[in-house]
Amino acid sequence: MFKIDKPLPMPTEESAPFWEGTRRGELRAQRCDDCGHLRWPPAAICPICLSGRHEWVRLSGRGKVHSWIVVHKSQHPAFWGDPFNVAIVELDEGPRLHTNLVDVDLAAIRIGLPVEVAFDPQNDEITLPRFKPAA
Amino acid sequence: MDDPRQLSGKAAIAGVGLSRFGRVPGTSAMGFALEASASAIADSGIAKSEIDGVLVLMPAQMGEQHGWASRVAVHLGLAPAFCSTMDMGGASAIGMMQTAAALVHAGVCKAVLCAFGSQTNPQGILPTMFGSQFAIPYGDVGAMPFMAHVGRRQMHEIGITSEQYGAIAVAFRKHASRNPLAQKRDPMTLADHQASRWIVEPLHLLDCCLVTDGGGAIVVTSTERARDLRHGAAKLAGFGQVHSSEIVHPDRHEAGIGGGREAGDQAWRMAGLGPADVDVVQLYDGFTPLVVHSLIVYGFCRPDEVGAFVSAGELEFDRGRLPTNTAGGLLSEGHLSGFNHVVEAVRQLRGTSTSQVPDVEVSMVTGYGGAPHEAPPTVAYTVAILTR
Repeated sequence: MFKIDKPLPMPTEESAPFWEGTRRGELRAQRCDDCGHLRWPPAAICPICLSGRHEWVRLSGRGKVHSWIVVHKSQHPAFWGDPFNVAIVELDEGPRLHTNLVDVDLAAIRIGLPVEVAFDPQNDEITLPRFKPAA
Repeated sequence: MDDPRQLSGKAAIAGVGLSRFGRVPGTSAMGFALEASASAIADSGIAKSEIDGVLVLMPAQMGEQHGWASRVAVHLGLAPAFCSTMDMGGASAIGMMQTAAALVHAGVCKAVLCAFGSQTNPQGILPTMFGSQFAIPYGDVGAMPFMAHVGRRQMHEIGITSEQYGAIAVAFRKHASRNPLAQKRDPMTLADHQASRWIVEPLHLLDCCLVTDGGGAIVVTSTERARDLRHGAAKLAGFGQVHSSEIVHPDRHEAGIGGGREAGDQAWRMAGLGPADVDVVQLYDGFTPLVVHSLIVYGFCRPDEVGAFVSAGELEFDRGRLPTNTAGGLLSEGHLSGFNHVVEAVRQLRGTSTSQVPDVEVSMVTGYGGAPHEAPPTVAYTVAILTR
């Protein structure tokens, strides 16, 4: 047998500031300098006004569960094994992020559950933002 | 175009074909595309020399391969005036028919072959894992998690139950059991659906489409030319498409579930028809929640009535108000990326389905595909209304 590692993000020019933020314990998104739109996911151009000018702003890291599922059979062999949850969290500021919920029983997960970010370092470069029930 | 009705009924499907399909090891995607193309050309009765356009769907999991459509054309000994590979997944068959209709209307082509072939485990090529750095690290990989999220939201927003998803799967299996070509013909009960293992909760195995090797093809030409051919014209009375990213992307989130509605609206407007006029429909059914979604956005059911509608057997060909996926669909006939849906929509107009609806005048077909695994998840919806 051989082990297939779980895939980790490979930051690009557009996403590197996001991953630099999570490494430092900050959840960030781009805000358009021209129209003020807060965009997700990171991209070169604003989908509202097509401006490329933006600043990275720090988000609260708080939100609520928008959707959640339990993966029993993954297309990707790295995720074969025990069932695990994947959630979509809607942040207070609007963006919706894919993530995993941690420190919570499956039976306690529901749409609308208030959550907050829990940073989970994978190596020196990549820290994944997962979410736990809000304190 | 200022008035989409200008194109209504001007182009038509003259011929359709499927290759062998099922789990067919040792075969090739190209082989299936060619087999289906030859079958569609023979079905139409058109001379090969009249085909001067070729559109081909980029097969999934084939890695980077250039010039797919050109290669199909060369293999078939065609010299097209227009040739293009298209890439909208299961939305492509109808997207190609739209493109073909426009090419014929514009005078660029006289007859256009639309083709597809897929081999799910091509020898020597490892399936590529499509990637989003904002989804895959969490184990949200591929279409199944995406559609499980859609299902979860339907359960939350409109109270759909797993048993109602099961009623959809059971109806389509009933049709497949009458179709000698279908991959899954064993009878299925609601209890079978409920007992099938979880794939991604809230979806059971029997909420998910089959895995299929095979191909399909369609010949589109002017309605005038099709009328002189072997089977006459299955007219493209209306069509539409829209691309969106509801579920995850908040920028385009509409109240409730709304993705795809615009594709239906374009098609209804172009055809001068509405949901009440449809005699039979083939809905793109990669997963049962997509059928629920389609029934709502294309105007067949209100969100609060869709669950009772499917549970009452309304999708069944012999007792339902809206006979749906009468060859068995992707769930039970096979996953031919929606080409089998177009073929069945044409059979219903010709009166040759194995679950034939009487006196079909309006035969509708939908497509769905794209990149649910990218950031933002992005899907294409396509709709075609066929008439005699």
